[in-house]
Amino acid sequence: MTEENSQQEMVIRFSVLQRLLHIIVMVGFTGLALTGFSLKFSAQWWASGFVWLIGGAGHLAYLHRFFAVITYACVMAHILWLIYYKLVLKRSLTGPQSLFPRVKDVKDLLGHLRYFFGRGRLPSFNRFTYWEKFDYLAIFLGMNTMGLTGLILWAPEFFSRLMPGYFINLAQVLHLYEAILAVALKFVVHLISAHLRPEIFPIEKSIFTGRTNREKIMREHPGEWEDIVTTSESAAPGSGSQTS
Amino acid sequence: MKRHNPMNIKRLMLICALLLCIPFMASTRAGAVPTATPSDASGWFVDLNRFSESAHRNFTCEVCHGDMRVQGQPHPDTRDTARLKREATRIYDYRRCGTCHRESYERYLRGSHAKALIEEKKATASKVLVADKLKAPTCGECHSAHYSRSHLSRAATGQEMTAACGACHPAQKATYLENYHGKVAVHLRDEASAYCTDCHGAHDCVSLKDRKAALAACQRCHPDAGERFAQFVIHPTTEGLAQDNKEKQKHVAIIKLVTVIMTIIVILVVGFFYGHSFLWLLRELHERLRKH
Repeated sequence: MTEENSQQEMVIRFSVLQRLLHIIVMVGFTGLALTGFSLKFSAQWWASGFVWLIGGAGHLAYLHRFFAVITYACVMAHILWLIYYKLVLKRSLTGPQSLFPRVKDVKDLLGHLRYFFGRGRLPSFNRFTYWEKFDYLAIFLGMNTMGLTGLILWAPEFFSRLMPGYFINLAQVLHLYEAILAVALKFVVHLISAHLRPEIFPIEKSIFTGRTNREKIMREHPGEWEDIVTTSESAAPGSGSQTS
Repeated sequence: MKRHNPMNIKRLMLICALLLCIPFMASTRAGAVPTATPSDASGWFVDLNRFSESAHRNFTCEVCHGDMRVQGQPHPDTRDTARLKREATRIYDYRRCGTCHRESYERYLRGSHAKALIEEKKATASKVLVADKLKAPTCGECHSAHYSRSHLSRAATGQEMTAACGACHPAQKATYLENYHGKVAVHLRDEASAYCTDCHGAHDCVSLKDRKAALAACQRCHPDAGERFAQFVIHPTTEGLAQDNKEKQKHVAIIKLVTVIMTIIVILVVGFFYGHSFLWLLRELHERLRKH
């Protein structure tokens, strides 16, 4: 395929907002993990060394809250976008090409597992595969629960007026274990499935540039390509390239 | 423009990924808390090199140990040979500390350690053996008169204190170091955080079972704390917890239950997805190699 040809086949997969939110959440999440685990594992030399480097526990607390605020601001921006998408643009949030979990995802997971053992072909994924939906929903729901427990730990004096004092302990436990879960999944499973597996290695650029091409969609999301073709056939030509 | 060989870039990225793993390779250690207890240092033998750097370095021996001569006994006392076989901290008359450290000594007498010492004396009088761990502390159990230095920073004092208190209260030390207060105060050496005595008092050593006393301790740093704030469990352990404290027993049980449930969830979810990723990598590598 020549350079000119691939230019023509270029399809926008992620809008500017989506790319921006991904980058901010990426930075915010890494910052949260780094500052949070530096406190949790402060007995380790690398953690206390990092805290020394940034100028003490006070700065650590400040940075953790700073990253929390920018990360949760992304969640808020995303929720506003979802409301706009549904109410003003009147598009579907639960359709087959959306990130909403569907029965097909379970079938795709089982089919994918069969494929791992060489007992079947790669399932025909829609615009978002089941692991992409999991990645998205895990962080979308996780940010809200982490935000809630984090807020309790941020202002324990206030929240202990609303709930028993030992709920602060529970918030602490939930915040920690969910953090371990999130870091174990995002820094390993998400990186492997989205960037590092041999099919994609070393990096999936579309989340940063927003661009993908016909060949890539047909290979990775064949169900989406069929949808693009049918909608652009029924609608005016050139209007159906973006289904987000 | 010279194009980079994609293989070299991949290799470089692999090396970077391995380097990023190094911090996680460090083995878990209990933290940089000194484990030597002052009672080791309050023995019969005195290391004069260390003594010469201590707070009491300008004292002659007789300032603290002058009573033998005063009572007209020879030194060394050859008649009382059993004396040396007893622990020095159990027979020294610590009232002599009170002549200079009056405030501390009076607080100690009001506090729970002194009460425990009275209980212990009753028990030994009625020939009930006391386990080593349950021994009530005298001054010398927590402080070393020979080696303790003066003008230590708050953080350094806190480090020593965590070890000293932890010698008899290991579960409390462990839970304190798991708590934000301990992590920030001891591991990160931030003096704005609370050490043992900031809540329990330096010489009174209050257990803080009393809700009002606990709240007063919280409010020294958290002035906005309400009544239920003091229900926050700093030491989520049943070790040394009063049997009649049913409410806290229940809270500790709930905290432990939630911890166990969360651990199971994390192991299951992470286990599933790691297995999934691993199989996926194997399959894609296999597909790659097959095409060669």
